Amino acid sequence: MENSEVGTTKSEWAARWADLKYTLYLLRKNPLVMAGIFMTFFFIALMFLANYIVDPKLANPAGYPEFGGNYPFQRSYVWSKGNIINWGPGIHLYEGPEFFLLGTDGWGRDLLKMIVLAIPVDIENAIIITLGAAAFGTLLGALAGYVGGVIDEVVLRITDIFLSIPYLILALVFATMFGRTIETLRFSILLVFWPTYVRLMRGQILSEKEKSYVEALKALGAGHARVLFGHIIPNSIYPVLVQATLDFGSVVLTFSALMFLGFSPSPSLPELGNLASDGYFHIFDAPWLMMFSGLTMLLIALAFNLLGDGLRDVLDPRIRR
Amino acid sequence: MKLYEYIIRRLILMIFVLLGISLIVFYLARGFPSGIDPVTPYIHSKMTAEQIEMVRKIHGFDQPLYIQFFYWIRDILQGDWGITGTWANSRPTNVVFFSHFPYTVELSVAATILTVAIGLPLGIISALKNNKLPDHVSRIIALAGYSVPAYWFGFVLQLVFFYYLSLWGLPHLPSSGASGMEGVVSCITGMPVLDGILAGNLGYTLDALAHLILPAFSLSFISMGFLTRIVRAGMLEVLRQDYITLARSKGLTERVVIYRHALKNALIPAVTLTGMFFALLLGGAMITEYVFAWPGVGQISLRAVFQGDSNFLLVYTLVTAAIIVIANLIVDVLYVFLDPRIKY
Repeated sequence: MENSEVGTTKSEWAARWADLKYTLYLLRKNPLVMAGIFMTFFFIALMFLANYIVDPKLANPAGYPEFGGNYPFQRSYVWSKGNIINWGPGIHLYEGPEFFLLGTDGWGRDLLKMIVLAIPVDIENAIIITLGAAAFGTLLGALAGYVGGVIDEVVLRITDIFLSIPYLILALVFATMFGRTIETLRFSILLVFWPTYVRLMRGQILSEKEKSYVEALKALGAGHARVLFGHIIPNSIYPVLVQATLDFGSVVLTFSALMFLGFSPSPSLPELGNLASDGYFHIFDAPWLMMFSGLTMLLIALAFNLLGDGLRDVLDPRIRR
Repeated sequence: MKLYEYIIRRLILMIFVLLGISLIVFYLARGFPSGIDPVTPYIHSKMTAEQIEMVRKIHGFDQPLYIQFFYWIRDILQGDWGITGTWANSRPTNVVFFSHFPYTVELSVAATILTVAIGLPLGIISALKNNKLPDHVSRIIALAGYSVPAYWFGFVLQLVFFYYLSLWGLPHLPSSGASGMEGVVSCITGMPVLDGILAGNLGYTLDALAHLILPAFSLSFISMGFLTRIVRAGMLEVLRQDYITLARSKGLTERVVIYRHALKNALIPAVTLTGMFFALLLGGAMITEYVFAWPGVGQISLRAVFQGDSNFLLVYTLVTAAIIVIANLIVDVLYVFLDPRIKY
């Protein structure tokens, strides 16, 4: 019964429903957001379906006995070097019945299939990193803003420290020192992204906790935990959501950049940055490797950035009406 | 609080931030299992075991980690910044850092100029033609800018402007490096373009400029989007305010209203962003420098990471972090001059 005293009444729900309908209308009106939504759905769907579309066993280089797991790139020089019409799409790497739409990678694996297998790896990692950074940053920022005083100052100085280290070097040093596993990479990128959320949430909380409803809640006898987690955080979470959507693109890019620079746990892991890194020393001999894996990366980041950009425009009350 | 008091307070805070940064990086670089024994760079084949022990003692490598940190601070304050591993010929870290730093400065200046030159007009156009075709076009360019993987964009530029153009026998831009004519002019500033101008050597200057174009454009395309977005948002916000309506109702032309009245206020957040962007670039754009084999500090630090060179990494993070913190301070102080309402 206690909840109903300060909960929402029926007419408020109707108002929220109307608000939601208006939000959806605004979303529909904006072609860029619609493009973002469709692309995001496409990639998310691909994330769940990839392992059914392409057999994940194909990623294992041991399955290509012809090359024995060695780099067969020298072979491809014959037909690719100096012959621009011949590169990439639709080229046979070696004599055989197979036809590769986007060419093959260093192990002779079909690049298109590898990209399909790589998309879930990238998106899954980016989701984990973004959610982790957002959750940790939000909690810490909320605490700092709500409690204030010494804790606030200490948390702010710590974010200062993390924001002043060049963002890649932090992740790189961390990944080097803790070894090249996916978990290390995730954590090292999380280290780079959490301070933004602390700043964002703290600012939100500072203005939110002065509002009269907080005072009313306290007068009703609500505890600090209930006021903070039940009311203040839900009321100021929208900017965090928008920031997380916008960060998602950067997280995907940073993750693949680390992979590209050689922090991959295994050279044969199908991951977009890893596939591109395979092509780094062959940019003029085998440009398709970098071209298509980078293009996929661009599309994923673009999808989430379009979505985040649109969401911000739609949810921001200053631009909204 | 007076302005100079504010500056002093921030400078004192900066010391703590720098201490915190070096503590974190120190523990990361020295404290974990895959770290290389910090004594290795000091050793060469003719040293006896006793001499190696002495080096250990001098730099405190035989002590626990938290005591080593104080030894390291002592060395830094005495001007001994440690030496690098064999990958940089065991030279002192500060020599290695500052011999590559001018290249990074040159690239950062060029990239910042390009960013402002392209991003600012795009943002203004975007705001003035809000929700019309030019707005959509410039927003898509901006979005593409911050969605594009840095390595991929550099690669596409290399492929088109170097490989294909040279393949078709057209004049093309160089694909990598900072200069194709090393040693032609004497090294005064360390920046190829500036050195060429100082020596009055036109051929060298043009060659250095040609090397600069692709990496600078690649960097600026990525950051341009952020600038465009913030200029657009700022302009939209300012154009709605009362004093703009007043300026229009006074009968001023649209041109004067936008460039004289609106732009100056809309630019304040853009100044922050440009300053921060420039400071970040001075820390070295690792991926772009790596792709274009640009001999700046970003690429060198990447090599240090792979070599596990803790001495260089410590100096590198300390110097770049100091640059970022000072740039932050400069931007905050600039605010006072840009916006008279702000007081510290």
